[in-house]
Amino acid sequence: MSMTTEAVLGRQARWANIRRETGRALAAAIIALGVAFVIILLTSKAPLEAFNVLLTAPISRPRTIGLWIDDVAKLTITGLAFSLVFQARQFSMGVQGQVYVGGLAAAYIALSPIGATWLGIPLGVFCAMIAGGFYGFLPGIAKAKLGANEIVSSLMLNYIAIELCNYLVRTQLVPPGSGVLTTNDFPATAVFPALVAGTRIDIGLIFAIVAVLAVWFALYRTAWGLKLRLVGHNAQFAEYSGIRSTVIMVSAMTVAGALGGLLGAMFVQGQSYGKLTILFEGGLAFEGILIAIVARSRPLAVPVVALFYGYLRQGAQLMNIRTDVPSEVIGVVTAIIILLVASSFSMPGRKFFARLLGRDTTPAAAMEAGK
Amino acid sequence: MAPLLQAIDIGKTYPGGVVANNGVNLTINAGEVHAVVGENGAGKSTLMKILFGIERPDRGTLLLDGKPVNFTNPREAIDAGIGMVFQHFSLVPSFSVYENVVLGSEPRTGVRFDRQQAIEAVRALSEKFRLSVDPLPPVGQLPVGQQQRVEILKALYRDARILILDEPTAVLAPQEVEELFVAVRALVEQGRTVIFIAHKLPEVLEISDRITVMRAGKSVGEVAAREVTEKSLAAMMVGREVALRVDRAANQGALACEIKALKVTGENGATLVDDLNLRVHAGEIVGLVGVEGNGQSELLEAVAGLRPIAEGVAYLNGKSLAPLTILERRAAGLASIPEDRLARGLATGASVAENLVATRLDDRRYVRNGLLDLKAIKANTEKLIERFSIRVGGPGAAVGTLSGGNMQKVVVARELSEQPKLLLVNQPTRGVDLGATQFIWRSLTEARDAGAAVLLSSADLSELLALADRLVVLYRGKIVAAFVNSDDLTPETLGTYMLGIATQTPAEMQGALR
Amino acid sequence: MIELFMTVFSATFFVTVVRTSTPLLLSTLGGLVADLSGALNVALEGMMLVGCLTAVIVSVFAPWYIAVLAAIAAGALLGAVMAFFHLRLKADIILVGFAINIFAAGGTVFALTLATGGDKGTSINLPSKAIPALDLSFLGVIPGIGHTLVQFLSGHSILSWVAAFLVFAIWYFLYRTPWGLWLRGVGEYPAAPEAAGIPVNAIRAWSLLVSGGLAALGGAQLAMFNYVGFTRDMTAGRGFIALGAVLLGARHPVGALLAALLFGFFEALAVVLPGLFNWIPAELIRMIPFIVTVLALVLFSYRALRARQLRTLSKI
Repeated sequence: MSMTTEAVLGRQARWANIRRETGRALAAAIIALGVAFVIILLTSKAPLEAFNVLLTAPISRPRTIGLWIDDVAKLTITGLAFSLVFQARQFSMGVQGQVYVGGLAAAYIALSPIGATWLGIPLGVFCAMIAGGFYGFLPGIAKAKLGANEIVSSLMLNYIAIELCNYLVRTQLVPPGSGVLTTNDFPATAVFPALVAGTRIDIGLIFAIVAVLAVWFALYRTAWGLKLRLVGHNAQFAEYSGIRSTVIMVSAMTVAGALGGLLGAMFVQGQSYGKLTILFEGGLAFEGILIAIVARSRPLAVPVVALFYGYLRQGAQLMNIRTDVPSEVIGVVTAIIILLVASSFSMPGRKFFARLLGRDTTPAAAMEAGK
Repeated sequence: MAPLLQAIDIGKTYPGGVVANNGVNLTINAGEVHAVVGENGAGKSTLMKILFGIERPDRGTLLLDGKPVNFTNPREAIDAGIGMVFQHFSLVPSFSVYENVVLGSEPRTGVRFDRQQAIEAVRALSEKFRLSVDPLPPVGQLPVGQQQRVEILKALYRDARILILDEPTAVLAPQEVEELFVAVRALVEQGRTVIFIAHKLPEVLEISDRITVMRAGKSVGEVAAREVTEKSLAAMMVGREVALRVDRAANQGALACEIKALKVTGENGATLVDDLNLRVHAGEIVGLVGVEGNGQSELLEAVAGLRPIAEGVAYLNGKSLAPLTILERRAAGLASIPEDRLARGLATGASVAENLVATRLDDRRYVRNGLLDLKAIKANTEKLIERFSIRVGGPGAAVGTLSGGNMQKVVVARELSEQPKLLLVNQPTRGVDLGATQFIWRSLTEARDAGAAVLLSSADLSELLALADRLVVLYRGKIVAAFVNSDDLTPETLGTYMLGIATQTPAEMQGALR
Repeated sequence: MIELFMTVFSATFFVTVVRTSTPLLLSTLGGLVADLSGALNVALEGMMLVGCLTAVIVSVFAPWYIAVLAAIAAGALLGAVMAFFHLRLKADIILVGFAINIFAAGGTVFALTLATGGDKGTSINLPSKAIPALDLSFLGVIPGIGHTLVQFLSGHSILSWVAAFLVFAIWYFLYRTPWGLWLRGVGEYPAAPEAAGIPVNAIRAWSLLVSGGLAALGGAQLAMFNYVGFTRDMTAGRGFIALGAVLLGARHPVGALLAALLFGFFEALAVVLPGLFNWIPAELIRMIPFIVTVLALVLFSYRALRARQLRTLSKI
């Protein structure tokens, strides 16, 4: 009897927690959009139109919806990769580099004779994940064995991967004589088939959904996941419990790396490109930081956040094309959201509203302060 | 004449609803040693933090020289002539003694930090108050007793009229305590006032002039030291007469753990445990006595596999532990309650269930093919919560939301959920309330009676004397004395060995080392 | 090979090394101050970038030194934002740092678009100014060594001299003044200065402010001397390299100088190599500073680890 009451209470507490987190995220987004609106108001000649495009354009046409959903799939993967390393309390920032080596691996498969067979997609994705995993493993092992700071090493590896991609595209992968830094289109067998004809929505979306479920399952239903989370909570305790925290740390970074590699394959083999071009990633990888932070590194929350953020991102791109406001304004929005969600700011005016509704705020406030 | 310092009806409730102080009155006269006593959790520390400006009271008044004061930070308290020596020292390890003493009030010429003047000042102070310390070495290299002197010098350097010592004897051996008392008396002779926080009553009665007793956040009385006895004071502290006692082992079993010629070195190369030989039998508790930092923790960690062994071997039931990983040691029947539950014993952000299963992630009951059996884990958690009467919302509650005593019960529950063959225990009741202490003591003796060999280390001599069947004294990583526990064994006897003043001959130890 | 040696040991190459090292050194010193106060400043990159753009835009309207001061102020402002969110609102410093980086990457391009009226890539159409080089050719009158002195010492950016002075000034501050003692105490064991009544959070906040100012000063050198003008992402990882240089320089100003010179040397090498060996691909040359940073970090960590192990062994 008492146990069931406690279970109910526990569930209520969890829901209250989810509600509070969601509220905070939404408040942060609204504040950030408010700031963006002020900036647009001050700088644009047609601010209302720009803001209108930002907020409504992504769902205006099937094509733009496709762009949005395609972004969501990609943002989900990078968000998952960051969530995994954040849950292990590592700060590997290497998703960008993993995307490039993954994209390169996928491109080599796609442009080889294998690419023209049915193996083009599965093998391309597989090799991209192996390459990305290896690239994620490097800063992990350097930290585990030598104590080399993973933030610095992973960032350096990002730049190295970008230059490596530039080099290989120019010298090896581009057909001789062509002036552009883009490979030939991949054979159709090596390009992800579209799920909705005429849009960019392709089986990358399915990969993203599978990845969400897989990461959730790995984190919350397997011993590896529990070990990873325990290492993240308190590495000393994990060590004392007989968990080899360095192994967990390296494996977390490697698995996250494989996700980064998968993202690389989704870029180059997806409907959006279907070929390898330099600098194809366009800074999307780092936006996984925002996704992971707002989702509190919870895999099931990652796609939800990606859905919202992807919409904003797409809106900004369209605003860039259709109005005089550059899409980079979204960087400001991103930064503000990260700052607000990562900090202990509480929803503004909550006490005021509560008082207005005649509710007592003390228990909630006390709980929050006690955290 | 108005008292030097007066606290009237102080109240403090922490965010989260913990009432730490609720109507505390304290009157300190100039030139006295005033003790504030009370159990752990009685609110002494909070009161001191309020006096020193770290916490601000919700209600009540502070009067200094009869005038109301309101400290918003330690700086203001320092400027008003109040100095504080915390139980955990506030010293920067890599800084030299003199740098630590003058930190925050450095002598300077222009913008330059005048080191020579600082060194001179420290020398002069340590002479004046008979607190001899070399000003030059980094404090990280000094023994605990010396570090404490640096702390006191720090307060004196800032011209503290009132010196608050927060449980200063907790980390000292009995003889070091005597030295501290000499210094305290010197301070009073020179016109300073000392507030002495403690819970060890004999010391309190020896050093103080007057005593304020606290219980459950209230001050329950003020008495003159020469008018009370230990017993009446204890009764005031707990509100009823209690005597903590446990039964000694009825019988003793076969040899369980044998440690042979063990040597452990630290990261910087210092020898922490040196050529140590010790045998522990099933069904007995062996107490490790020593001033903190004499190798007790390192010995336990080395046996548990948390620290590399430089030389020597530890056997459990005749099998060497050396080649075994931590998990394999646990599988062989080893359990350990670590020194610092927050740093090492728990993941406070994880749930109670996850904490309880953390050491059993290779157990087929909870993990099969790498997958967690959530049902079995939950059932086990509920069983342990019931058995160890842990007060918690449910298996899914985060450990960080529990009280100190309940957190420690989670650790104990995990380690004793399966009957261990060898149980390593370090500071089992530090910062734990009386009720939980009794519960944990009973759990330990039950494990012993069920056949566990127990190695127990504690900074609290009375805990060791209450629980242990045999006691070995460690000094600088070596066993210097061994005793069979009896009512005749006193802390003073142990103290002589703890400080290395005396050493037993091998023949003397023989009887107690069996 | 011989050409390479000739180049590397020439005075021109030395001047190039000083030029490439200066932004790194300034940024590394910024990272050092934050690091010693206990905050890992991963936002050096973004602070440099904002410093670059501020310097360029302000220099269009004002003398070069005003532009440099404006850059410092912009960097310090970002440091203040970091301090506010990290110290007051308790956000993780690394996340705050990356938020600043993301803000800088997008914000600079956005601001550039506004300033140039639509150009998103470079500030090529803006008449921005350069920091003058210090002409020491009067040293040439010294008999014997005068000519060599002029070759090596003349023609550096004024900020290079400032950076060299700052190495000394920061060393003096950290190890010879009371406030340096406070700062190091705050970084190593905050409870001690706290108990001594030192305002711990204020010290951390000031360190972040100074850190941001120094990084942005490095940015000013980059955009007003090494290059004249702003291009998007022109810092190209220098702020992150500086973060590595802090660790590599063993958390000491002189170490920071040596580490910055090391990375500057390889960047300078990347500048001269294409002229000498045109068969080496440009991409691989551009990789050099990053590869060197990774290798240096790994080697440094390995040596630190070995040193710890050796200490343990020698006393057994």
